[in-house]
Amino acid sequence: MDAIIRVENLSKTFHTKERKKGEKKKKRVVQALKDVNLDVFVGENFGLLGPNGAGKTTLIKCLTTLLLPTSGTAWVNGFNIEEQEDSVRASLGCMLMGERGLYWKLTGRENLDYFGALYHVPRDVRAKRIDFLIDLLKLEEFAHRTVETFSSGQKMLLAFAKALINDAPILFFDEPTVTMDVPTARELRRIVRALNKEEGKTIVYTTHLMHEAEELCDRVAIIDRGEIIALGTPNALKASLVREDIVKMEGILPASVVGKIRSIPGVREVTVQAAPDGRASLAVMCENSRHLLPRIIEAATGNGASIEYIKPQDVTLEDVFITRTGRSLAVDTREVVKEGAGGGTGRG
Amino acid sequence: MAAQVAASRGFGLGRPGWRAKREVVRTVFLARIKIITRYKGAILMEALLPIVFAAMPVLLGITVAAQQGGGADPGDLFCAKTKINNLCTTNFKLYMLLGAATFTVVSLMLWLIGYWVRREQETGTLESLYLAPVRRIWVLAGVTSYAFLRAMIAFVIAIALGSLLFQVNPFNSGMGLAIVFLAIGFLPLWGLAFMFGAFIMKIKEADSVIQVLQWILAFLMGVFYPITLLPGYMQAVAGTFPPTVMTDGVRASILNISFIYQSAYGSLAVLCAMALVVPLLGYQVFEVTERRLRRKEGVGHY
Repeated sequence: MDAIIRVENLSKTFHTKERKKGEKKKKRVVQALKDVNLDVFVGENFGLLGPNGAGKTTLIKCLTTLLLPTSGTAWVNGFNIEEQEDSVRASLGCMLMGERGLYWKLTGRENLDYFGALYHVPRDVRAKRIDFLIDLLKLEEFAHRTVETFSSGQKMLLAFAKALINDAPILFFDEPTVTMDVPTARELRRIVRALNKEEGKTIVYTTHLMHEAEELCDRVAIIDRGEIIALGTPNALKASLVREDIVKMEGILPASVVGKIRSIPGVREVTVQAAPDGRASLAVMCENSRHLLPRIIEAATGNGASIEYIKPQDVTLEDVFITRTGRSLAVDTREVVKEGAGGGTGRG
Repeated sequence: MAAQVAASRGFGLGRPGWRAKREVVRTVFLARIKIITRYKGAILMEALLPIVFAAMPVLLGITVAAQQGGGADPGDLFCAKTKINNLCTTNFKLYMLLGAATFTVVSLMLWLIGYWVRREQETGTLESLYLAPVRRIWVLAGVTSYAFLRAMIAFVIAIALGSLLFQVNPFNSGMGLAIVFLAIGFLPLWGLAFMFGAFIMKIKEADSVIQVLQWILAFLMGVFYPITLLPGYMQAVAGTFPPTVMTDGVRASILNISFIYQSAYGSLAVLCAMALVVPLLGYQVFEVTERRLRRKEGVGHY
């Protein structure tokens, strides 16, 4: 298959400053991407998964020319991201900032016309394209109003339409359904699928919603601490864990319970997510849940746990992430590689 | 190495022609006009500012002249204090009005670009612009054309209303030459606006910078006085500043007083040189700044 996006040894380092209360300002070096290598193939719907700060957005910003890499490079639609920036941009339709990136004092239609002109879409083609997108995304009711009067979901839909205005062969969507209600998000996923399957668009889709990635993506890359830690089809990634069962448990779970469960022979990994109300949920990865379930329950209740829910579950992409990293996707993983006192350049 | 080129190609691939570039300038210009007209009264309000700005020194001059006693005429006092090469004007009201109106033009041209960059950064539209294959020069041309129109509207309204209010007549044989100074002066202003926009994009702050620079600008331009009243080294600095030459040229043409570079031709020659160099320099500064930002945190980081 032909690669429409090729990433070679791409690295990106940020220099930042951080001031904590009562402490001197510290400069930090954050390695957002570490030697990332990746191919996205023509017509593929490619998912990028990872927790906040893992490097997903940095990777997308490099590929869309918004950021220049520290080292390494990439090609998009055959064009180099540093040397042929305008051709890369012309090859892309992007929805990266959610409902940001729109002019609030312009109407929905005026916004689409404005960005269409910036993509050099001829005026007559632009008018037809805008009508088509308004119809496709059902924007008729509000496209004539200024964006300041839109709901959050309506702004997201307009931002989505903006990404399609230039009919680009490659589409980047960064968490496009994040503020949408359930029916609208479902409809948008249907359109994404149609763009991919019926129009042959190559799609790079970033999400932290595992079901979205499983539903939409042909292949996914799981990114963590700036590195791609797993890459493959959702089924292949899940199949890599089939030797293992996962037991999900919720309730009031004292800290000592984790250690006790971890010490049970056959238990491979235990991850904890604490809720603010004192409750917690555990994911226990083990070899044979039927055999170990009584011992897991005994270890929990014998150490003061009050179990409200317990069930062996199917393997998800989140479980793949947990197995590879030992952490949940909910954890912020921005990695500081160097810290030191004093000033220096960097972003604030 | 390169990845395979896809069969489907988006719009904007290939080199856009003049029509496409003109369309970008037109669309950006019209969008800015639409946006400002949706803020009711904004254009009229800013046209009144130079009148208020000029009224302050005019009233101060009248007050000071009255305190001199002996029936001193404020126009004569002003003429005596601002005489250069035996040329001066007693029409201090028109002098102030022209200075204030030209200052508004300069101010709007610079600050509108600065505020535009900052606002685009904050709302995320700057990143949207950088995602498009359009060259920044055409977007900037659209925005500066809008700033030019807004500045001209403010200038014309201010001169018209101010002339009625102060009972002065700016329409004389020097008006044509004044318009030439104003028109040529806009070109280096564009360059300065690009530099200022780059500076705002880098420091991510517009309000406080504009507050400070506003007064430095007014001081260097000699809004209410000839820069010959400044100390020598400051005169040298002010003389290389395009808005100073522009203001001086507009005023000297209409009031028939001395030009900063001895003659109208001298001042025009200097302004033309600035019109050639400063826009190129300004755009270069803008490009270098945006590339540095993209190397660091990105232009849209706010």
